Amino acid sequence: MLRLNKTAKVTLFIVLIVYFFVVATPFGVLFLNSFKSMREIYLKPFAITESFSLDNYKQAWEKAQLGSAYMNSLIVSITSIGGVLLFSSMLAFMISRYRFKFRRFIYVYIITGLALPARLAVIPIYVTLNQLNLIDTRIGLIMVYIATGTAFATFIIKGFMDSIPIEIEESARMDGATPWIIYWKIALPLTKPALVVVGLVNFVNVWNDFFFPLIILSSRSKETVPLAISVFFGEFSNQWHLIAAALSMSIIPIMLIFFLFSKNFISGITQGAIK
Amino acid sequence: MKTKVSHILLFVLPALIFYTLFVVYPIGYSFNLSFFSWAGVGEKTFVGFENFKNILFGNFSEEFFNALWHSIYFFIMNSIFELGLAFFIAVALTSKIWGRRFFQTVVYLPNVISMVLVGFIWSMLLNPQWGLINSFLELIGLGNLAQPWLGQKETALTTVVMVNIWRNIGFYILVFMAAILNIPKDLFDAAYIDGAKNRKIITRIIFPLTVPTMQTLAILIFIWSFNIFDVVYALTGVQAGPFRSTDVLGTVFYRTAFGGLGSSRQDYGLGAAIVVIIFILVIPLSMVYANVLDKRSRGL
Repeated sequence: MLRLNKTAKVTLFIVLIVYFFVVATPFGVLFLNSFKSMREIYLKPFAITESFSLDNYKQAWEKAQLGSAYMNSLIVSITSIGGVLLFSSMLAFMISRYRFKFRRFIYVYIITGLALPARLAVIPIYVTLNQLNLIDTRIGLIMVYIATGTAFATFIIKGFMDSIPIEIEESARMDGATPWIIYWKIALPLTKPALVVVGLVNFVNVWNDFFFPLIILSSRSKETVPLAISVFFGEFSNQWHLIAAALSMSIIPIMLIFFLFSKNFISGITQGAIK
Repeated sequence: MKTKVSHILLFVLPALIFYTLFVVYPIGYSFNLSFFSWAGVGEKTFVGFENFKNILFGNFSEEFFNALWHSIYFFIMNSIFELGLAFFIAVALTSKIWGRRFFQTVVYLPNVISMVLVGFIWSMLLNPQWGLINSFLELIGLGNLAQPWLGQKETALTTVVMVNIWRNIGFYILVFMAAILNIPKDLFDAAYIDGAKNRKIITRIIFPLTVPTMQTLAILIFIWSFNIFDVVYALTGVQAGPFRSTDVLGTVFYRTAFGGLGSSRQDYGLGAAIVVIIFILVIPLSMVYANVLDKRSRGL
């Protein structure tokens, strides 16, 4: 941590204010445009709309089919995160608490996936889902997300479990508790902070993902939010007032979640890259 | 602790099966597919190294190397900004400065927005007629610099790279901040007592002690540079225009495997071969990364 004198403090503060504007202006302009008419966007790029109305939002909501897109995104995100948290915490629990053959091998095998560009292997994923009759289904998408979320989740949860004393679990075992009871009743509740972090990071990843829905989904009724927006963008590529409204609606929920949980996010992000 | 094998399997198998089926097996199967020609339906035809020859030396090589250089350009620019610039912002954000927590949140905000949506937002800001960027340049009297940033070969790729950095840099800043805050406070105190200036403290303490972080991040930037797709898709489309000047391996691969107008030819085998070449570049580093993390978590 540097100690700064007055001049340095003021200079850095100004730099950071500039940075703030570089980040905030795009969002600000987006929200401004979302209330304007096409004409106003062209003629007065910096001005506030003259006749405020939510009409753009109504039209964009219907044309982009955002209602069903939100529903799909929610179903896919929540189910896949549930799956990731359950399966990864079970695996992490076994690796952290028990000694068995291939334990280290399994761990390194799993965390190699932390930095694998898994989505490049999408052709075989597509072929496999096709054989299972799961192309253009939300289940297919969910299964892929459970798989691609495993490495990060296992890494964080195992790291967290390692730091919890094992004594309670050992005495429970002496009293005859099965591994499942120890896991469900003792280990999992103690791991809650890590589960929250993993859940949030995964939620953002899944909610934002564009590539897998683009490949796996084809019916409009199953589109997730980013895919719905991109289809809308293609169909109405000149209707910037509607695009602005659709984009605003698609980013507001995730921004709210971020502002509510920014602390958990930040700890998850930094732990994932560097322990 | 120890337990029965059946218990171990119950806990280990679900995650292992999903991960193997949809992460590891597809990578292996890509290697296998790269030796075939296959349109996705009907019989696969074994073609040996034909796909690789075609990509590296044949009529597909121009398109491939064009995209490969662009991916490498991404890697270089990302390294400069996401390591260099991010380092300095992290140093600023870890010093005692007013509004630190607020700025920390601001810095990470773009990162939680879907890359493809970020691309759409920027395509609006970069609109040549009324977009924010050109209007702003005119406003401050630099109107002669206004130009169709994404519409001309000379500026398109760098513009895409900058949008990508705008969205991603927050992650790197946060990781650097964590690394800097991990440096023992005594080191700073001792240096200040010895009368060291801030510049010395940055070059002699903060920088050397964040080098391991930088190395890890460089590995990630390298791997992720070959993963880029969404930002190009959103800003310049699957055709990565103008004239393929923003084409990266991700978009070449997408066109080859899943078509899109104007792709030279659609073939799963050819697509798989492109991916295999990327894997050969990237997987060794993924393994290095996993080992580094494993060692660190065991305190070695």
